[in-house]
Amino acid sequence: MSSNEHSISLRVNGREVSAEAPARMHAADFLRHRLGLTGTHVGCEQGVCGMCTILLDGEAVKSCLLLAMQLEGADVRTVESLAEDDRLSDLQAAFKKRHALQCGFCTPGFLMLATGLKSSGRKFSRDEIRGELSGVLCRCTGYDGIVRAVEDYLGDGEAVG
Amino acid sequence: MKAADFIYHRATGVAEALRYMEDYDGEARLLAGGQSLMPMLNMRLWRPAALIDINALSELAEVTAQGEETHLGALVRHATLETSPLIAARLPLLATMVRFIGDHQIRRRGTIGGSLVQGDPASEMPLGCLVLGAEINAVGPAGARMIAIEDFYDGAYATALEADELLTEIRFAVHPPHFAFHELCRRHNDFAVLSVAATGHFSADGGWHGLRIGLGGVNDRPVLAEASMALLEGSSLSDADIAAAGEAALGAIDPPSDIRGSAEYRAHLVPRYIAKALRDLRLSAQG
Repeated sequence: MSSNEHSISLRVNGREVSAEAPARMHAADFLRHRLGLTGTHVGCEQGVCGMCTILLDGEAVKSCLLLAMQLEGADVRTVESLAEDDRLSDLQAAFKKRHALQCGFCTPGFLMLATGLKSSGRKFSRDEIRGELSGVLCRCTGYDGIVRAVEDYLGDGEAVG
Repeated sequence: MKAADFIYHRATGVAEALRYMEDYDGEARLLAGGQSLMPMLNMRLWRPAALIDINALSELAEVTAQGEETHLGALVRHATLETSPLIAARLPLLATMVRFIGDHQIRRRGTIGGSLVQGDPASEMPLGCLVLGAEINAVGPAGARMIAIEDFYDGAYATALEADELLTEIRFAVHPPHFAFHELCRRHNDFAVLSVAATGHFSADGGWHGLRIGLGGVNDRPVLAEASMALLEGSSLSDADIAAAGEAALGAIDPPSDIRGSAEYRAHLVPRYIAKALRDLRLSAQG
């Protein structure tokens, strides 16, 4: 352990964990490389693409714009928290039903952003959902399936089809 | 890319943060929301010797009503401005403008103090604070001082803060009754090509008073269209008044040419976006 490596203790997906990380490591790399939670994807590392979105103390944030050191004492949820064994969560099932993914690289970002929207307790129109979802980019789907899946999940849109 | 190495400090109070800043003699950066700082570190545009994390300073995260004034701590997050009933009632211009910042995740983390200190010429909070005539409280080794927002920027990304000073609070006088905001973005939540914020009082005599019109993205810092404001004092904001004010604003701008638009395009848009904002203002007084 180099002198600029620090021990970080936090709760991830309901489990208390601790691991070491250099000061300069961002939280997405920490989750992937130190905790083995590779469901969080790394795209641009400049806060644009949203692939690395996680929940930090209940709020959707981009983990590439957060230092691992800032996770000390935090409650983090990643995409690994959604499915129970082989059973998809309601949100994941909505993505499957609405064909809301193709290559799937962005999907963890959308899933955690949508989880954050749900926990806010607010109601969103379809237009508002589109606005909120602008924090994650998708190069495959054209977004329509994603918007519908999130609308299904948030439960206040009209179910279509 | 990954950030270059730095020393990380988690400050537990303002005094401790100031001590760290003094220790590093201008080589340390404060870490608030990190939504502008972290990309710059990851791209290695900045390589500070140390980061001083001030996120634990809960005393800087408060929204307080002090009589007619409203005080926002430097660490008040954009998401708070977006959802707080107190902000909606007392600083509705900021509540409107904050929706144009970044995206959902950026707004959960980004802070008003960080946005002001970053000083992007096209960003929303510096413009909103300028139009509302905010005052900025900064503390340094020599104590606290108040800086008028009009004096806060020296240029693009450059503030009047000394290297060892910390922005702690932004203070707002009572909010004018009428306000309007318009912004042009090429993509949803992109940086603004230009933005216009306006506030004013409409009196029973049918005239507008104390109008303030601010422009973002068309100079090296947000600017007031002072000639337009003077021209409109006491006017009824008729279409002719609005057109004259739009032309008068061209003297206040020195727009950049960049990937979002040329200087000519921005100059072309300024009177048109001022007109949008002023027509909204006029409409809000009819409601």
